[in-house]
Amino acid sequence: MNGPWVEKYRPKNLDEVVGQDHIIQRLKRYIKEGSLPNLMFTGPAGVGKTTTALALGKALLGEYWRQNFLELNASDARGIDTVRHNIKNFCRLKAVGSPFRIVFLDEVDNMTKDAQHALRREMEMYTKTASFILSCNYSSKIIDPIQSRCAIFRFTPVKGHQIIKRLEVIAEAEKIEVTLNALESIVYFAEGDMRRAVNILQTSSSVGEEVTEENVQEVVSKAKPQDVRKIINKALAGDFLDARDLLREVMVIQGISGEDLVTQIYQEVAQMARDGLIGEELYVDLIENIGKYDYRIREGSNPRIQLEALLTKFLFKANAK
Amino acid sequence: MLWTNKYSPKNFKEVLGNNKAKDEISEWIDNWLINKPQKPLLLVGPPGTGKTTLAHLAAHEFADHIELNASDKRSYDILLGTVGEASATGSLFNQGLKLIILDEVDGIHGTDDRGGIRAITKIIKEGHHPLVMMANDPYSKRIKSLKSKCQVISIRKVHTNSIVALLKKICLKEGVEFEEYVLRTLAKRSNGDLRSAINDLEIIARGKESITTEDLKIISQKDDIHNIFDSVRTVLKSKNPQRIKDAMRVEADPAFMLELITENIPREYEKKHEIQNAYEMISKADIYLGRAFQTRNYGYWKYSYDLMSLGVALSKDETYKKFARYTNSTVYAMLSKSRAKRDLQDRVAAKIGEKTHTSLKVAKQQFPYLEIMFQNNEIAWELAEYFRLENDEVKLFRSRKIKKPKTVQSKTIQEENQVKKVSNSKKIVDKKIKEKITSIHPPVKKIKSTQNKESIKKEDKIEDSKSKSNKKVSKSKSKEKQVSLFSFK
Repeated sequence: MNGPWVEKYRPKNLDEVVGQDHIIQRLKRYIKEGSLPNLMFTGPAGVGKTTTALALGKALLGEYWRQNFLELNASDARGIDTVRHNIKNFCRLKAVGSPFRIVFLDEVDNMTKDAQHALRREMEMYTKTASFILSCNYSSKIIDPIQSRCAIFRFTPVKGHQIIKRLEVIAEAEKIEVTLNALESIVYFAEGDMRRAVNILQTSSSVGEEVTEENVQEVVSKAKPQDVRKIINKALAGDFLDARDLLREVMVIQGISGEDLVTQIYQEVAQMARDGLIGEELYVDLIENIGKYDYRIREGSNPRIQLEALLTKFLFKANAK
Repeated sequence: MLWTNKYSPKNFKEVLGNNKAKDEISEWIDNWLINKPQKPLLLVGPPGTGKTTLAHLAAHEFADHIELNASDKRSYDILLGTVGEASATGSLFNQGLKLIILDEVDGIHGTDDRGGIRAITKIIKEGHHPLVMMANDPYSKRIKSLKSKCQVISIRKVHTNSIVALLKKICLKEGVEFEEYVLRTLAKRSNGDLRSAINDLEIIARGKESITTEDLKIISQKDDIHNIFDSVRTVLKSKNPQRIKDAMRVEADPAFMLELITENIPREYEKKHEIQNAYEMISKADIYLGRAFQTRNYGYWKYSYDLMSLGVALSKDETYKKFARYTNSTVYAMLSKSRAKRDLQDRVAAKIGEKTHTSLKVAKQQFPYLEIMFQNNEIAWELAEYFRLENDEVKLFRSRKIKKPKTVQSKTIQEENQVKKVSNSKKIVDKKIKEKITSIHPPVKKIKSTQNKESIKKEDKIEDSKSKSNKKVSKSKSKEKQVSLFSFK
């Protein structure tokens, strides 16, 4: 082992990128031509947006790609000023050792509209020296002027058999034994997210000699947000204040994200329905509400407030029962 | 003529209260007049306390003055155009000093007045002319950068007694009979805002011979400043839309207001569907806050305010006649309690993010897996090395200390020998690259390059354990690493 496998086995060139063949084919044309328009990569987490951008950068910029490739995490350096300052300083200089420079901006959908407008100006100003690659989860959150300046590439979740193939390559290189059931189980939990799949594989291999279905399930259940069932049960019992406090603790102190929690709430509810702990009608009703609040969270509301509101729905159902 | 103008002070002496501020301003003017340039003045204080008045009085002392307030567009170009020109031309009298007055600088708008603050900073740097600025909110982000460059004078609220005294004087001059109680109520209501007190008085007294308590009803309670908890209490206790709307006229951040109302809903409401309906309103109010933030269109706030107040208030079947103890949101207590832990999480996430090309958020999502992996001593050792985690940072994933694995110890010695043999040829290549690059980018930090040697060693480790085809890959990998010394991050 040498560091996290997600990094160790990150594809080094475009050919290694898994599951985005149609995109890779088109990108290769840019390499052949040696030029690059502004690009936008959109798609869910862990499908290869960053990997593709890095590989593309290396292929286009050659030996000195590091100096001519600026990677900025939009969600970390969020303010307009930081973005402006860094990009400006980078783009002002002409590329040395490469035909041009590339700015890679991650999670652009987390930038405010103001910052996006600022970015749009930068994109126009430096067309001669630099190309931009923007990546985001939801292209709907990107202002139109930016979208119209980019060639948009939509990344899709990686297919199950492709994930399995990649995991097998890793397993062979790491000389670990993985059962087919384990692989299928990883694929199930990964939901098309290669990063998660590789993380589960590496973590599972750390708990036992061989990666088995049981190992995988153990890891996944340990890695998921805890206390969710407790929160649900408290709410179902009508103890709203307690449920709310526990939810706040999980989010504020343990730092679990709203998106992770809502997924977990969904999975717990589904499990409870399978186990016959909640009736069918109630199940459908809850799912409808979970979906509603999930959407609200992704739309950019405060996840904690929204999840507290979701909790009240559990409360009501218990009473009506 | 409006009474506020008619009775506005004619000199510093007539200005109510704020003696210290007046002295400072006088001194500032005197210094300018004897040709001692001063830092610009920044008068900060709530509305109606005399900031503009003071600035105008100061303007009398100078040859000329020029004023820009929030009604003027104040972008970079406009500011520099008007003010810059004024400060460059100058008048003939009083050493040609021209007072520049910029009112409501905290109201300089982010997009419409793009570059406004930058322009002011520039004017401060160049200008040889006295500059007075006014702002309401001392904590406004917009004026943060200005504060350090200015002499900040805080203007306090005017004391109720002083206001009553002034109102009496006005009544006498206007020939209006009054009940002391009426004036006192007006003064109190104004909450230190002299201008609004005079305005209110004018509304009820102008053209009349006497004023009584009856007349107070004319004035809406618009300036009634509520304590925030009073507002929350009104929202949760009342079902009267007008009272609730009035109660929401508090100067508080809507997100904070939302948090406080949310916190106390289950402390007041008892029926489950009430809590549920109220929370639905809160959820929607929050959506608008999110939209306002996303789009920077703060017009959405009005929907948010109505939903969190009226929406929540009308979610109850009937008003509760009980005493409920309201509290501040428990979230704030949790946030301060967990600050150290969250800082640690952020620090670790930043280290991981840098290595794995991910944002803090995505890096944190990997924490649970790391926690499990860190239970394995050998893996924990390698990962901690890889991410360069300090001992206290490791504690985030593992309570026990990591023991240095024996295998690693013995391996490293063997490897060092091997490295010497294997990498001779490679070193030359590396050196060449290095020379090439250093000729372009001269300064290289030494510490970093030693770190890099370590990572090369590690790469060799894999190399040895793997086939020849892999060798090529890792070789190019170490090249990358070498070059990465000069990365811009």
